[in-house]
Amino acid sequence: MSYMIHIEHVTKRFGRAAAVDDATLDLGAGESLALWGANGAGKTTLIRCVLGLLGFRGTIRVGGHDVRRDGKAARLLIGYVPQELGFYDDLTVCEAVAFFSRLKGLPHTDTDRTLATVGLLGHERKRIRELSGGMKQRLALAIALLGDPPVLVLDEVTASLDAVGREEFVNLLAGLSGTGRTLLFASHRIEEVAALSGRVAVLEAGRITRVVPCADFVAETDRGTVLHLFLAPSVRDQAMQSLRVGGFSPHLNGVGILVPVTPERKAAPFRLLAEARIPVDDFEIVSATHARRVAHVPHSASSSPGGNAVPHLAATEVSS
Amino acid sequence: MTSLPTAVTSSPNASAAVRVPPGLLRNVLTVAHRELRDAIRSRWFWLYTLSFAILGLAVSFVSAAGTGGTGLSGFGRTTAGLINLVLLVVPLMALTSGAASIASDRERGMLAYVLAQPVSRLEVVLGKYLGLAGALLACLSLGLGTCALILAWKGLRTSPASILWLTGLSLLLALAMLSLGMLISVLARRASVAVGTAIFVWLALVFLTDLALMAGALALRLRIETLFGLSLVNPLQVFKMWSLHAVDATLDVLGPAGLYAMDTFGDRVAILFAAALVAWIILPLGAAMALFARRSPV
Amino acid sequence: MMPNAVHPASAFAAVLVVATAFAGQADHAAPAPVSGGRSTLPLGPIGMRIAAASPGDTLEIDPGIYREHLRIDKPLTIVARGDVVIDGGGSGDIVEIVAPDVTLRGFVIRNTGIDLDKENAAVRVLAPRVALENNRLEDILFGIDLREAPDCRIVGNRIGGKDLDVARRGDGLRLWRSDRTLVERNTIHDGRDAILWYSSNVVVRGNHGFDCRYGLHLMFSDHITILDNEFAGNSVGIYLMYTTGVELVGNTLVGNRGPSGYGIGLKETDQFSIRDNLIAGNRSGVYIDGSPFTAAKPGEFTRNTFAYNDVGCTFLPSARGNEFTENNFVDNIDQVAVAGRGALDANRFWKGERGNFWSDYTGYDLNNDGVGDFVHESQTLFENLMDKRPALRLFLFSPAQQAVEFVGRAIPAVRPEAKFTDEVPLMRPVALPAAVVERKPAREAIALSGIALVGVGGLLIAAARTSRRTS
Repeated sequence: MSYMIHIEHVTKRFGRAAAVDDATLDLGAGESLALWGANGAGKTTLIRCVLGLLGFRGTIRVGGHDVRRDGKAARLLIGYVPQELGFYDDLTVCEAVAFFSRLKGLPHTDTDRTLATVGLLGHERKRIRELSGGMKQRLALAIALLGDPPVLVLDEVTASLDAVGREEFVNLLAGLSGTGRTLLFASHRIEEVAALSGRVAVLEAGRITRVVPCADFVAETDRGTVLHLFLAPSVRDQAMQSLRVGGFSPHLNGVGILVPVTPERKAAPFRLLAEARIPVDDFEIVSATHARRVAHVPHSASSSPGGNAVPHLAATEVSS
Repeated sequence: MTSLPTAVTSSPNASAAVRVPPGLLRNVLTVAHRELRDAIRSRWFWLYTLSFAILGLAVSFVSAAGTGGTGLSGFGRTTAGLINLVLLVVPLMALTSGAASIASDRERGMLAYVLAQPVSRLEVVLGKYLGLAGALLACLSLGLGTCALILAWKGLRTSPASILWLTGLSLLLALAMLSLGMLISVLARRASVAVGTAIFVWLALVFLTDLALMAGALALRLRIETLFGLSLVNPLQVFKMWSLHAVDATLDVLGPAGLYAMDTFGDRVAILFAAALVAWIILPLGAAMALFARRSPV
Repeated sequence: MMPNAVHPASAFAAVLVVATAFAGQADHAAPAPVSGGRSTLPLGPIGMRIAAASPGDTLEIDPGIYREHLRIDKPLTIVARGDVVIDGGGSGDIVEIVAPDVTLRGFVIRNTGIDLDKENAAVRVLAPRVALENNRLEDILFGIDLREAPDCRIVGNRIGGKDLDVARRGDGLRLWRSDRTLVERNTIHDGRDAILWYSSNVVVRGNHGFDCRYGLHLMFSDHITILDNEFAGNSVGIYLMYTTGVELVGNTLVGNRGPSGYGIGLKETDQFSIRDNLIAGNRSGVYIDGSPFTAAKPGEFTRNTFAYNDVGCTFLPSARGNEFTENNFVDNIDQVAVAGRGALDANRFWKGERGNFWSDYTGYDLNNDGVGDFVHESQTLFENLMDKRPALRLFLFSPAQQAVEFVGRAIPAVRPEAKFTDEVPLMRPVALPAAVVERKPAREAIALSGIALVGVGGLLIAAARTSRRTS
């Protein structure tokens, strides 16, 4: 069995709805794969199946261990970073590291070295609730790296970070690639995918629709611009209506509306909404080009107006 | 902002692949230690300990005042008052802390995070149970111990054996209620629902079942053996009867039902009580573990 | 034997009473006939000295173990010099006294037979004016058995029964038609009863009885004085039956919790005065059935302390005409109970300005005259239910009991009628007799257990605080 992660015909249903529908994937040792998809596409569910947190039909093996029958051994190979570190708030950084190294059965832990790895040196005595969001995620990464596990599983690890924190974290992760570690991560950020993955598995409503090399995937999505508009919930439907009438193909996401635009028509949606007297609270311009720039210039300190969410629909349907 | 390292130098450890995950006992102890520490740092722990000591003292002094300066000892009257106190406070404490444990971890996302480590669900449940049991024992022994020390200092009489018995039996009661609380916690989706359910169960065990049995005894003229048998179903009653038996060596203070129990079982009645309480500890905890293994922790 | 006219006031009642007595007390029927003499047995060393002695002589017996049965048939004073053991060898009676004015002092008399029909006794007395002093009776079926032996003195003896099932035990002390006898400073344990049959003007003083069926039992015995005795851990402390004229003063009746479990039981007893007794920890402190038997004198209960009994005082419906004044009712689970559906109307709990002290009295005393400003009314709902359905005692000490009490207080509709009232309840308890000594349990032991418990808690907290970074 040469695959590090082997996912075969995995189906997970919540009630009648299939969150993951007959997924099959293989990751070789040292390979890096991104799970790409909108909210609710099944990324997190699939990751939880890999971690053995959910029951499912089908087979998942990590390093040859069946995650259901031999979950402890499988998870021993995995370092996991969640979307947001939820842990005893009043634990100090040091205590958290000690707790998890015991759980991982490590005879002793060089806490300083572990914390230095993620730039948390000097914060050992701080309690978790005193850490910023970015520091929490770095702590989670430090914990995941305890015992140098051969597999890292990341679940939208930057979702709760601001733009600067996100970039720093992705840089940190990028430094880990190419070290022989197998990486499975969920993301809906093109810049992360570009920076970290070798292949991209696209999930749509629980199904893996295709698996493509990262370069192809990024190239595909690099042809357009998406306008991310933030509006009050009460006016969103009205706004969608106006935009459709104006010839755009808008999509709702959790916090706003995504409007694929051609570079020369970036202002048109604003005009339409102004005419309809719909106030726009804020906006972002989401560009795939930027993502590639991050990938190639990892230490760039320049601020990045990264989008909050780019569903794959936006990425694939945009015309340049 | 902290300056970030330019590159992360660690690489996967080949030995991790052949490393063996820690054994059950070690993981249980790790989780238990974490839980105990968390409990002891929390406000409820000290609140319960303090109120336990204060209420215990109040009960002792009130029952001493009842003798009105006759200088007579209470023949375990203090113990009887403490039994009543334990019956009210300990189940509430154990049920709610058990109910909050898993449900609130789940709500905070902590449960999924811990279970993503090389631990089994069984280890997590057992560890949490053990940790909370330790916290409850600490609370009981600190509360009753302080109470005993102040009683000794003030020269109030109560038998030392009965205080030790009471502490031990209270712990058993607490373990049973903790079991039940954890079962509730596994079943409930939200921490608030779990705690609400626990409080309802507390009410039911403390008041409703006894009142229903009383009504039954009055209206249906239940036979003594039926009444005694039914009362064995309620762990609180079992605790009460066992405490009385431990302190008084007899149950005749409980009237015909107590006499029936002593006539039928003699001193083996204590075994019966022990069996009932142990069943109340094992069965809900077993059910909690079985359900927890099956249900999604997220 | 012919029944005496015990209650001359009513011949009919007397017949009825005796009939009842025999129905219920078959094991207390007239004594078994005395086997005639022991002349057939060879005499032992003491027996030979008795045979050789003249009436009025004093015999001193040297230390040793004497395996013989004695029959004392002349007025002698027989005294043990040191440890003198008379061993009955496990058969028959041991000492039989058939002559008056005999004194037997300082012996250890042990090992009677166990024939309950023949009533094997350590000392059987069949003549008046016999004195039994400071003897130790061990391993015996019956201890001292007086038959038609008036004016005796039973003083300072220690009587310990055989380790037998209660049904197979004999009486530690029995007086049968032995008037004016003094029973003083004896200790009686592990027997059936210490019982007085048809023996009047007897004084029972300073005795101690424990682990018996009835600590003291009076049957048809009139004008008895019972002073300063202690009866603890018997089935019943003192049971008065069919007796007229009892002074029961200064006794301690504690922890009598057998199948009946009364501190003092009164059955058709008349003209009694029960004063200054400590009655604590019994199943029922006092149990009153058909007493006082006539209207000649109210049943007097004064300055007694009823404490920590399951029931302070139980009244059968037949109990009428008792007066309770200046008693302390302290923390009895049920202070006063009426068995069955009776009422307490015919009994009084206060007289003139003298009521009782009730530990559950909730009133206060603004004018500081020592008497509560409100009437004490006993009307708790749970007690009321418990009196009706004793099975409900199972729920004692539980929060549900308090819930019921609370409902009873809060909702007048379900509040039971007052069981009794005390119009002048005392605010402070009446002082206990000096005889009651406070016994403190070791304070050190309580402190130690407290330290142990705090230690356990401390260890757990310390364990929690130790960081377990590495193993």
